[in-house]
Amino acid sequence: MARVIRQRPMNWVERLYIFEAIRGLWTTLKHAARGLFRYEELPTISYPEGQPEVRSTYRAKHRLMLRPDGTPRCVACGMCAAACPAHCIYIEATASDDPRIEKKVKRFDIDHLTCVFCGLCVEACPVDALRMDTKEIIFEHRTRDEFVANLKTLTSWDPKDYPDDAQSQKAPGGKLNAEARKVWGMEVKN
Amino acid sequence: MDIIESKTWVEWLITIAKFGFCFVPVLYILLLIPMERRGAGFMQDRQGPNRSYIKVPYFGKVRLFGYVQNMCDGTKLFFKEMFAPKGAKKFLYYVAPAIPFAIVFLSPCVIPWFGPMVFEWGGKVVRIAGPIVDSEVGILLLFGFSSLSAYGAVLAGLSSRSKYSYLGSLRTTAMTISYEVCQGLSMMGLLVLAGSFSLTDIVSWQEHHVWGIVAQPVAFFCFLIATIAETGRAPFDVAEGEPELVAGYHTEYGAMQFGLFYMGEYSHICISSLLVATLFLGGYSVPFVTTETIQAHMGGSLAILCWVLAFFALAFLHMIYRYSRKLRASAQSNKMEILQEYKLYKGIGWIAAFVLVCAGIASWMLYNPQVTVVNGVAVNTLGAALGTALIHLLVLLVKSVFFCWVWIWVRWTLPRFRYDHVMHLGWKIILNIAILNLVVTAVVAKLMGGN
Repeated sequence: MARVIRQRPMNWVERLYIFEAIRGLWTTLKHAARGLFRYEELPTISYPEGQPEVRSTYRAKHRLMLRPDGTPRCVACGMCAAACPAHCIYIEATASDDPRIEKKVKRFDIDHLTCVFCGLCVEACPVDALRMDTKEIIFEHRTRDEFVANLKTLTSWDPKDYPDDAQSQKAPGGKLNAEARKVWGMEVKN
Repeated sequence: MDIIESKTWVEWLITIAKFGFCFVPVLYILLLIPMERRGAGFMQDRQGPNRSYIKVPYFGKVRLFGYVQNMCDGTKLFFKEMFAPKGAKKFLYYVAPAIPFAIVFLSPCVIPWFGPMVFEWGGKVVRIAGPIVDSEVGILLLFGFSSLSAYGAVLAGLSSRSKYSYLGSLRTTAMTISYEVCQGLSMMGLLVLAGSFSLTDIVSWQEHHVWGIVAQPVAFFCFLIATIAETGRAPFDVAEGEPELVAGYHTEYGAMQFGLFYMGEYSHICISSLLVATLFLGGYSVPFVTTETIQAHMGGSLAILCWVLAFFALAFLHMIYRYSRKLRASAQSNKMEILQEYKLYKGIGWIAAFVLVCAGIASWMLYNPQVTVVNGVAVNTLGAALGTALIHLLVLLVKSVFFCWVWIWVRWTLPRFRYDHVMHLGWKIILNIAILNLVVTAVVAKLMGGN
């Protein structure tokens, strides 16, 4: 239903225009004075040098969570790929060495050129393997292929960047992530 | 040869040096463009353009608070290709942008930049008038000059063979004519009070009675609105209203031809603000102090001037230091670069503050010229006369810069009027108020027994 907003008719002071104009001038004067005398309080960020503060709840670039032994948590169920409205997730599964786990992921690609950053993949993940809390909001690459995040880029995050998250601290992190992947027999191609 | 020999060389020197005032509007352009852009930015909670820089050996990238942007823009416009659209009348098309810019050099001739200098030199009493041309009809000349700049817009519109330019120039013509009338009539009340068309007389009347804004507040508002309209700036810039006419009369212009229109507009603002300051804000006269007082206490006056400037230098330093403290605490990746740049400003600020304070103390303690009275006119030494002129000039410049700010301020606050609203405001409201004001002023002046 359309809602009708009845506007109050202007009174004679407002219709004279000059007083309302002076009110407007006062408003802009306040803003201009703030810019001139309190330049550092301007809300603008001088962008490439100063970065905006991104909260961890912001849906930024994806990352894959790791188990304490360094393997990805992903069980290659394909729920995220099914949930994805943009069809930007491509998963290949293979048999897991661990008898408790059926499948492990062999290839996990997210095309960030197609991704709409809706966060449905994160919602869909049954094992909390996929998260979007990297706070990385800049995507700049030379070629289109570089925009496709693969298993290697998705898992090479540093626990130091997530000090508030206890689960991230259990992962080996950094170079150890790569070593752990090698031990697990998961050489990542491309 | 009599004329040449009757004047001393100092008089000749000052008279010729006064022609330098012709270039004041051009200097104002340099001031106004950054002021407009950054002012607009601040009003919209932005920072405004501040990225262009010059590399200086020790200090790195010196941005000069966005002033370098001017030079970049100028360079860009200057090196772009000049072209004329097909079917344009070539001669008029190329001449048109030069007209408003050329007028700029004429208009400052009649503005009194300082009070009459009266000083003794070589056993003679020398008197030098404030304006370059001390005309009896100074204000009429000034109006004539500033109306001439409409020719630029008209010729541009006619010659560039584009319907948008044509409509824009028609609107400019109509607006210039209607608001010239308002401008002239609203100022008449003040002329009735001062009893003269000479700008020097008007300023000296204000100096000895009250400022025009107190004597004629209604006229001041009418005059201000009419002048803003006459410069063709928002909210009255229907002549170049982008939604209707692409860019009005300079649609077909590019490169430095457009730049000339642009600079012509800004210098027109400069002239108009000088005119408003001269007519209604006492021109060069210092508030609450007469020229005689200043001349009697020359050293003290110069000291106060120096200390006011030193205060501004210190305030500037305070802002720089406060900002650098905040910057140092921030995570901005180029903060060391900016802090290095700020070392330059801090150095200049401290040197300026120190020099100004010392100059103030020196002139207060040491400089106390004697005033002699010859035939009832106070005659100073050359130094005192030059000092007075300097103070007067600075006061006038401060007042006019304030009005330039009003122009910018109004532009970035008020939305553009519709064309018929502009005409309605001009002919049916401001004109009537101005005429009424003139009649009332004349009657009251007659009853009070003025001139």
